[in-house]
Amino acid sequence: MTSTTSIPDAIVAAIAQVLHDTGREPSVVEPRMLLAADLGLDSLDLAQMIVLLERSLGVDPFRAPPPGAARPAVRAVADLIAIYSQPAKPRSGGGAG
Amino acid sequence: MPLNAQISPNHLSDAPAEDRLAFAISEVARQFPDRTAIVAGAGSDGPRTIDYGSLAAAILKLEAALDAVRPVGIVARAKRTESLVVIAAACGRQHVPVAFLAEDSRDLIGELRDWVAIDDSLALSVDPTADRRLFEAVATHVVVATSGTSGPPKLVEHSWDSLLAAARLAEQWHGLGWILVYDATRWAGIQVWLQALLTGGRLVVPASRDPDTVLRAIVAEEATVLPATPTLLRRLLTSAEGALLAKARLDRMTLGGEAADGPLLEQARAAFPEAKITQVYATTELGEVFRVTDGLAGFPANWLGRTLPGGARIAMRRDGELLVQLSRDTAEVATGDLVEKRGERYEFSGRRSDVIVVGGAKVFPQRVEEILRGVPGLADARVYGLPSAITGELVAVEAVLTDPLPEGSTPESIRAAALAACRSGLEPHSVPRIFDIVRMIATNPSGKISRRPTSART
Repeated sequence: MTSTTSIPDAIVAAIAQVLHDTGREPSVVEPRMLLAADLGLDSLDLAQMIVLLERSLGVDPFRAPPPGAARPAVRAVADLIAIYSQPAKPRSGGGAG
Repeated sequence: MPLNAQISPNHLSDAPAEDRLAFAISEVARQFPDRTAIVAGAGSDGPRTIDYGSLAAAILKLEAALDAVRPVGIVARAKRTESLVVIAAACGRQHVPVAFLAEDSRDLIGELRDWVAIDDSLALSVDPTADRRLFEAVATHVVVATSGTSGPPKLVEHSWDSLLAAARLAEQWHGLGWILVYDATRWAGIQVWLQALLTGGRLVVPASRDPDTVLRAIVAEEATVLPATPTLLRRLLTSAEGALLAKARLDRMTLGGEAADGPLLEQARAAFPEAKITQVYATTELGEVFRVTDGLAGFPANWLGRTLPGGARIAMRRDGELLVQLSRDTAEVATGDLVEKRGERYEFSGRRSDVIVVGGAKVFPQRVEEILRGVPGLADARVYGLPSAITGELVAVEAVLTDPLPEGSTPESIRAAALAACRSGLEPHSVPRIFDIVRMIATNPSGKISRRPTSART
């Protein structure tokens, strides 16, 4: 399920969805913002965002990092944009089942 | 015509187990050849009716062919339930092993070397040059494929005795109309058609598993006994047309395969006030362990540590897992089912293998489903674990909306209300993070709720 959504737009939409689903106030999102300190997002929020982004962008760079690579560090919104902008093998379908 | 069949229960249980199906069918056929045995395609425009006379004739014909050839074993490859019945009965009485392979287990046919397949033509391809096997006085067995819920499907051998162990042969069970919502080639489905035809009853096979079709079949063919999983029953109660539901009259519901929760039992009582609800607790390894007939969820708390009718003793491990000892001479077996005390009952909180682990914390999917099903506008919900590189798993939901929606609500408002209900009733890690609205809940081949991720998003 790939689409033409731009990566930054998809990331902003995923953050907005996570805040909405967890009953938090919407927030302006800037690339330099820190996920935890500025936006109050924790690891569960990040896990949710990754699933939402897999659905909108068709890739999950966290599930299959390049061989030998450690899991990418994600602190700021800009880190997410960078990770999703790396060329990655698109996945087809949404689930493992 | 008398309603009850004239098969004496004592007479029937005197017959060797493998002969009983053929014996019962031929006894009814002898007295009432025109009595309906099976209604196939029920709930559609063109149901087919098969009477006991023609069923008995088909069994005799196949028996003659089996006797002439004496194959090592028969693989029942028929699609029609009536053919499966004929094959089972003929193989039983001719002491030929028989295998039932469901759609997803057809690949296993390679394991049954030299077995002969029989399809709906009920023809046995005879090789005239082959040697006729001598009668072997070994226990004839029945091979049934497992559903593959917890691994790939595999073939399991059963004796006719164990296949018939749960059949109810007392007079009160005779001549009833049984609706078959299970796959006829699986253990649970085989149990239903055996039960119906051993007791001179009428087996109603709906044209599809669609809830409206099942209810139309129940109404049109006057089926009064519904054996089902709680998931299949819930689908019937929440997704079928209200007018059809109002017309259906059920006398008995036998629930098994998974735990029924309190709200479902209440819903069932409201829809079918006359029906007696029996919950059967059984495991693959042990078979039936106990029955609960008081219509309440779980079982009475004072059953723990006691010998129950039937001889089994149940106990609970410290972590909540139910332990069963079938008799004094057998070892205690861990069932994989978790129970917790609620008031004077122990209720099932789920399978150990269904537990979702989010960042090291356990989530019981049934608990989340119970909360979701209490949200106005949600007819049903399926909670499962979605793999996550960050937290191990993530709680995901597929939910079915009521039709119509409650006044003034939208799918989005119901979704928000459902998540808010979970936030106020559950630990943060148990609150669903992925919430999809679907048309129907995914079930596994045994009709139980599936705990696997799917891509059935709408």
